[in-house]
Amino acid sequence: MEKLQNTYKVVSNEKLCPRFYRMCINAPSIKKNVKPGQFIHIRVEDGLQPFFRRPFSVYRADKYVEIFYEVVGPGTGILAEKVKGDVLDIVGPVGTPFVLPSEKTKQVVMVAGGIGVAPFLILSDVLKKRKLDLVLLYGGRTKGHVYPMKEFKANGCKVMVATDDGSVGTKGRVTQLFSKIKMDPATTEIYTCGPNPMMAAVQDFAKKNNIKGQAACEEVMACALGACLGCSIKTTSGYKTVCYDGPVFDLAEVIF
Amino acid sequence: MKLSVKIGNAIFQNPVTVASGTFPHAEKYYSLEEVQSLGAIVPKTVTLFAQEGNPPVRIVETPSGMLNAIGIENPGADGFIAKKLPPLQKTGVPLIISVLGHNEEQFIKLTEKFNAAKGISALELNLSCPNLGHKVLVAQDPKATERIVKTVKAISKYPVLAKLSPDVTDIRDIAQAAEAGGADGISMINTFTGMVIDIQKRRSVIGNFTGGLSGPAIRPIAVRMVHQVYQTVKIPIIAMGGIMNAEDALQFIIAGATMVSVGTANFINPRAPLDVLNGIKEYMKQQKVKDIRDLTGILEK
Repeated sequence: MEKLQNTYKVVSNEKLCPRFYRMCINAPSIKKNVKPGQFIHIRVEDGLQPFFRRPFSVYRADKYVEIFYEVVGPGTGILAEKVKGDVLDIVGPVGTPFVLPSEKTKQVVMVAGGIGVAPFLILSDVLKKRKLDLVLLYGGRTKGHVYPMKEFKANGCKVMVATDDGSVGTKGRVTQLFSKIKMDPATTEIYTCGPNPMMAAVQDFAKKNNIKGQAACEEVMACALGACLGCSIKTTSGYKTVCYDGPVFDLAEVIF
Repeated sequence: MKLSVKIGNAIFQNPVTVASGTFPHAEKYYSLEEVQSLGAIVPKTVTLFAQEGNPPVRIVETPSGMLNAIGIENPGADGFIAKKLPPLQKTGVPLIISVLGHNEEQFIKLTEKFNAAKGISALELNLSCPNLGHKVLVAQDPKATERIVKTVKAISKYPVLAKLSPDVTDIRDIAQAAEAGGADGISMINTFTGMVIDIQKRRSVIGNFTGGLSGPAIRPIAVRMVHQVYQTVKIPIIAMGGIMNAEDALQFIIAGATMVSVGTANFINPRAPLDVLNGIKEYMKQQKVKDIRDLTGILEK
């Protein structure tokens, strides 16, 4: 159980742009064990309010374990108030990670919407050691919501951005960026994370072009351990839990 | 310090167990030593045939608790016995199997199937199932409760527990009916039916429309009900309802519980059952209680 649940100290908690925060946590055992696509389940307060833990993709596991999160409600609101030295009770890492690209894959296209970029930095950290053509297609609402992509670029990713209002990058949906890159179904793999309508559009594109892919899904969770079956989503093979069977699924398998 | 308790002819090394549908993949997340420190394990309710469960949204957070409507997603009795039972049996921890039949015939078949399986200590009847031909659940009808318990008890080779719903006018009537049917013990309480409404969509948040409320929000009501039932029946009570820590568990024991189940707390603190057991031991040491059974129902008035 010590491997699963422990307390760790916050190292830093930085506001990057309105509503988006990046937290570093000193969690050596999580750092050692986490794989890209897995998440940690944080109890933001010791009391009963909020009641559930909150799940966060691990954004990076380098010197510290990092999460990149958006303040969307009371739980993330409390997390945003944490400062250096605060102690967090964390379960994890848990969940089924990304399957890394196969040997014959030459190009990896990561398609992220909003905070859905969270699991991709750690993925690119792992993939940069391989000779792959890494592409990040990022969709955000507006300029203020587009997180600076320095680290992705440092990992050798080609970054392309689309915003709803065109304030930065292409105006429109992130899936419009597909037309701007060359992909070969035999050697390209797609990884996507973001709002369900966006991932549905990515799934549609991948299916039409016969490209294989994976989707990192999100759902409200209670246990994160496959016990309560509360976070189940519909797949082509029945209900599956996001926390235990996922969060990463074969892109073709999810019914968005 | 004596911690062992008895329900029917089943002996448990200590009074701490886990409520049905709340315990994670024990073999993956607990060390063997940790699992083996539990008094018993109650796996998720098994139905005769596989059930795929309810459409999402299945859970929602509420003040000090949660609402759930999972729909008893489970692989059915055969699937459970083939896949889920063996790793649980391997732990050596006594198993209390929770079963739900959609009619009497299914309860009979479920009992027969588990009679044929090994490594089981007791059956818990989930009576929060439709009472055929009536608008209420079996657990809301004393006659139906007595009939189902009697039917299962007649053929079960294990002690039989009746799990009661709190959504009744007087839970004592149902507990008495279960006792009259020959139950070896009472498990109480199941969740309270509740609703949360999304005011923007003007819809119920839960996909199944209503859900069961659990967690510390319901604990004081559960403690009161255990106290009432303890005064009404002679058979032992396995108590549950928002137990987060040892203090909560001890309230139930003092109110009349022989065993306590940690349920929703497993989702918030996976270590909760172990913490509860340690806390009970500490309390017994402090209070110089030598036998846990001396604590059951010792509420002062």
